[in-house]
Amino acid sequence: MSAETQDRYIETKAQLSRLFQSVEASLNGESSHPFHAFRRQAMDKLQDLSFPTRRDEDWKYTSLNRLLVNEYGHQAAPKLEEGQLAPFVIGGEEVIQLVFVNGTWNKELSRLSAKPDFLVVMELKHALADPQYKTLIEAEWTQWALASDSALVAMNMAFAQSGLFVHIPANKVLENPIHCIHIHTKTDKPQLTSPQMFVVAGKSSQLTVVDSFVSLDADAVYFSNIVNRFVLEPNAVVYHYKLQNEALEAFQINHTEALVKRDGNFSSFVLDLGGRIVRNNISAFLGDSGTHTNLFGVYLGKGEQHIDSQTFIDHAFPHCTSNELYKGILTDRANGVFNGKVMVHKDAQKTNAYQQNSSLVLSERAQMDTKPQLEIFADDVRCSHGATIGQLDESSVFYLKSRGFNDEQARSMLQHAFLIEVLEHIHLDEVREKAEALVFAKFDS
Amino acid sequence: MLSIQNLHANIDDKQILKGINLEIKAGEVHAIMGPNGSGKSTLANVLAGREEYEVTEGSVTFMGKDLLDMEVDERSLAGLFLAFQYPVEIPGVSMSNFLKTIVNNRRTAKGLEELKAPEMLKLLREKIDLVDMDHGMLKRFLNEGFSGGEKKRNEMLQMALMEPKLAILDETDSGLDIDALRIVADAVNKLRSKDRSFLIVTHYQRLLNYIVPDFIHVLYNGRIVKSGTKDLAFELEERGYDWVKEEFGAASV
Repeated sequence: MSAETQDRYIETKAQLSRLFQSVEASLNGESSHPFHAFRRQAMDKLQDLSFPTRRDEDWKYTSLNRLLVNEYGHQAAPKLEEGQLAPFVIGGEEVIQLVFVNGTWNKELSRLSAKPDFLVVMELKHALADPQYKTLIEAEWTQWALASDSALVAMNMAFAQSGLFVHIPANKVLENPIHCIHIHTKTDKPQLTSPQMFVVAGKSSQLTVVDSFVSLDADAVYFSNIVNRFVLEPNAVVYHYKLQNEALEAFQINHTEALVKRDGNFSSFVLDLGGRIVRNNISAFLGDSGTHTNLFGVYLGKGEQHIDSQTFIDHAFPHCTSNELYKGILTDRANGVFNGKVMVHKDAQKTNAYQQNSSLVLSERAQMDTKPQLEIFADDVRCSHGATIGQLDESSVFYLKSRGFNDEQARSMLQHAFLIEVLEHIHLDEVREKAEALVFAKFDS
Repeated sequence: MLSIQNLHANIDDKQILKGINLEIKAGEVHAIMGPNGSGKSTLANVLAGREEYEVTEGSVTFMGKDLLDMEVDERSLAGLFLAFQYPVEIPGVSMSNFLKTIVNNRRTAKGLEELKAPEMLKLLREKIDLVDMDHGMLKRFLNEGFSGGEKKRNEMLQMALMEPKLAILDETDSGLDIDALRIVADAVNKLRSKDRSFLIVTHYQRLLNYIVPDFIHVLYNGRIVKSGTKDLAFELEERGYDWVKEEFGAASV
């Protein structure tokens, strides 16, 4: 942690610099595009920022060493057949389906037939060149993204391939989800992908985005470095689901931030099943009163997986509620981390905040570190938080076995039962069924 | 069907069963009575295979096989059923999924195909009616928020679905009001057949007004100290357990 670590990250920056130059050289005229101007600014910024180390309180349990020593590349996306998508599809024609292969938007495999005219779904790059959205995106990308002090956010911005812009106008409701399938394949060099999404939900609108992260090759090594930004105008309702089933040697960092304006309602659900090192940074900034925020998470770690969820809910205004529930199961030598902070500022009277993290640790060498934190500066609030770490209840195992369940069946049913409390919060049937199927498949693997 | 010979069992190094001998033939209903702490529940749990109990001596043969050598689930699939004194609550496991798995596991073990959804539903509803419960119970989680009576009826429902060869009822009657007690007794009586045996562990004689056993055994201090027909139950009810303690207490020291 020492000089050696620092040096290693200096080398990482140098490598990223070389990668940036080679990407830039292949741009063919796009280098004057305003989107690329952001990339360049982010690259400059990255040189000034430090990658977090375990000396940083928020990264105490998660080291980026393994992830940052790789020399990443940007390789052309392979051609895929529609049939290869089948295992990952959710629902039918009614779902807007966007497919990204190794970070690049694949138009042929995407399906926008269900997109209503009022809904804007386009590459962020193109939206930035569109007079209608240019000012909005420039403002957000300058004042929010480039203002971030996170090296990982800057890295995402610097290497963003296309990005996604979603805008739903005021009073419109999209009942079926937008489903983004992020597919990875095995590449010569580990692939760096930088998915970027900016969602603006107009006043009293409603929309659901589902992000699936999957791999076609079980042994693929790559790094998904994600940035999502949600802005909820007053009274808007947004559901965001991340169904993460990356290859087991892949890495994922997910930086998701929502700004929730008056009476807005934001729900985030992360399901983490895959990945060697996975880190979520999920923050909700409650920008006015009357808002409601849900943060849900389910994680299942096996082998040597490391899954870390860092959440932050910022209650700055009165009469806001938040509900947070993260549950997970760890076995083999897997590690889990939960660090959930709820900040209730002095003016945030009548806040109602609930936070719970529960884990099952099923083997001697598996580990869970949990740190639920409530910081309350207001005096008229209802807040509670808690954390439990335990094993399967053996009297329940015995009960099921006495009914003819074999040991594996009994334990699998109890593990699933443990997670049901969170999974049942998924509000769309087809999404919940998909999530449950993924969880079951993980139990059986 | 069941043959218990000289069974000794410990929990936490404390000897609870001190030489039980019992023969149950097909179609017979046996009741085991005795004061608290005599070892009744221990016997039921040792037969079902609960791991906390250590068998130190003796043997148990069930359907010609060494029962003590079988896993808990093997015992169940071989036709041994235990109705728990305190059924566990398992939030997150739906009744419907639980009961379907019970049925299909047994079918698979017998080499039959799993039951199709409509037939399954028909079967479940029929058995739910048998214990006078609401069909809506299928949507509830296993025993979660069930009243004491509902939990015991749920045990009887599982027994009806499992069609065991030997059903052990561990104080299923304790704490029940008379309506629930009648439902439990009805379920047992409906399932009585020449091939099916019951071992009813109870503290109170009252249940035996509704389920008439063929034999009654008095368990005291880890041994069966007296066996007889149903009249023995009335004697116990009238005289209490004190005379048992007086008569057999000294001898067992």
